[in-house]
Amino acid sequence: MPSSAATVPSSPRSSERPGGHPPALATLEPAIVCRDVVKHYYYYEHRTTSLREMFRRRVLRRPLHVRQPRFALSGLDLRIGQGEGVALLGPNGSGKSTVLRLLAGIYQPTSGSIEVRGRVGTVMELGAGFHPELTGGENVRLYGAMLGLSGRELAARYGRILDFAGLHDFIAMPVKYYSSGMQARLAFAVAICVDPDILLLDEVLAVGDQAFRERCMERLHRFRAEGGTLVAVSHDPEGIAALCERAVWLQDGQVRMQGPTAEVAAAYAASARQGSGS
Amino acid sequence: MTTLETAPVLVPHRSPSLRWSWGLLANLVARNLRVKYQRSALGFVWTLLNPLLTVGVLIAVFHYVVRIQVPHYWAFLLSGYFVWSFTLQTLTAATTVLPEHAHLARSLPLPSEVLITATVLSRLVEFLAELALVLILLAAFHHGGVPAGYLWLPALILLQVALVLGLTLPIATLSAFFHDVQHALPLGLMVLFYVSPVFYPASLVPERLRPWYQLNPFAGLLTAYQSALYQGHAPAPGPLALTAAEALVIAGIGYAIFRRYRALLPEIV
Repeated sequence: MPSSAATVPSSPRSSERPGGHPPALATLEPAIVCRDVVKHYYYYEHRTTSLREMFRRRVLRRPLHVRQPRFALSGLDLRIGQGEGVALLGPNGSGKSTVLRLLAGIYQPTSGSIEVRGRVGTVMELGAGFHPELTGGENVRLYGAMLGLSGRELAARYGRILDFAGLHDFIAMPVKYYSSGMQARLAFAVAICVDPDILLLDEVLAVGDQAFRERCMERLHRFRAEGGTLVAVSHDPEGIAALCERAVWLQDGQVRMQGPTAEVAAAYAASARQGSGS
Repeated sequence: MTTLETAPVLVPHRSPSLRWSWGLLANLVARNLRVKYQRSALGFVWTLLNPLLTVGVLIAVFHYVVRIQVPHYWAFLLSGYFVWSFTLQTLTAATTVLPEHAHLARSLPLPSEVLITATVLSRLVEFLAELALVLILLAAFHHGGVPAGYLWLPALILLQVALVLGLTLPIATLSAFFHDVQHALPLGLMVLFYVSPVFYPASLVPERLRPWYQLNPFAGLLTAYQSALYQGHAPAPGPLALTAAEALVIAGIGYAIFRRYRALLPEIV
């Protein structure tokens, strides 16, 4: 049966909390609540790609032999408090990116409910919305609009975006002449300047040079200190451990373990070493 | 074993970032036009060249060879041809707009209806420029003044957008599921070209076939344009009302088809 999933209007980010360690989970207002979320990519395996198949099925009533749907998530329960930092760990295909896409509203759950409170910023891939023929400045406006900024909101942030990217001199140049690191810088600058309450990060910080990565990490630290909620996917527990106090280990579309990042990361690493990871 | 029939009905929930956004629409239209024109010296001339060549060929064939009995045949042809080329190009683009944005649609919560509408509107901007040229040519060399029929243009353009958008939404949606749409569409458009009064007036259609002929909404739309631009007076209200009703029904059904499947589009394309 289809589920209903609600999105509660944005609640202002609590700013009175001192930077540093957020309070214990139990006292936090939830930012994200997933209840028994199931997602299967039904149509990936079963979609009819031609009218001929449809004709066989609908008109001749000849059933097609189809496999069981592949479950990307089977009954995920997840609660993330406001201001929490959560790392999603797990092998390829364990459903990490699917979780992010569901939280972002890119995909719809097959069943279960997802509640997300606050403005969501999604970075599945840096520069996904860039058009190579357009200039840096034009791309900033376009990408900003894709991330949900109004023209006025973007104008207010434009200077800050260029400052963070450090690309003032190249802003009138088509993005296709940018190096991949420059593109990543510009894209991350736009994404972080959206000022989301909840930031969903897929593994995007692997690109860019060391200096850029440090700038991003520093900016993400500030985002956390200001009370932002971070959900980040990673294969590499080292990089995000510093940003997230909690980790969720996904395996075959379910939560296998969750808790303090250090413990979960250690257990995950041990399991991966033993080769029982999948 | 599972079959498609047991596929879950779609969840009505929409993320707030998937709501309609005029700002995004404006940015996408600007992007489409910029990318098309900014690095081309002749720019819009290229866009005009294709229809102008076609118009030239049609005039040569149907004025000098087949000799359709229409005074000022060039003016008649111009008053409908650009409406047809708008339809042709927009519906053709409908089959590719979602695949072109497939990568993007999996990375960001983008409302598909905005992507699709942006394709229609960026083509509409070009159409309006072409139309302006046609209006000037007809006023200068055909009417010798500005005819009252021009006043009907806003209504006709609105009707045209509703009709074409109503077809674009389901074509874009269905072509994500069935690759057959890409093959079928050119055939359908080819037939539509001949059963619509683009290069001949609807009045040449035999009287007893006329009621059937007029059921084609493009017949009604093109005839209305030809009344307003070529004859320079108000289109006949009856056929125009029928066309408007058809456009509304098509837009309604088209939107319903799109809406039924839109949540799946980012996963499918």
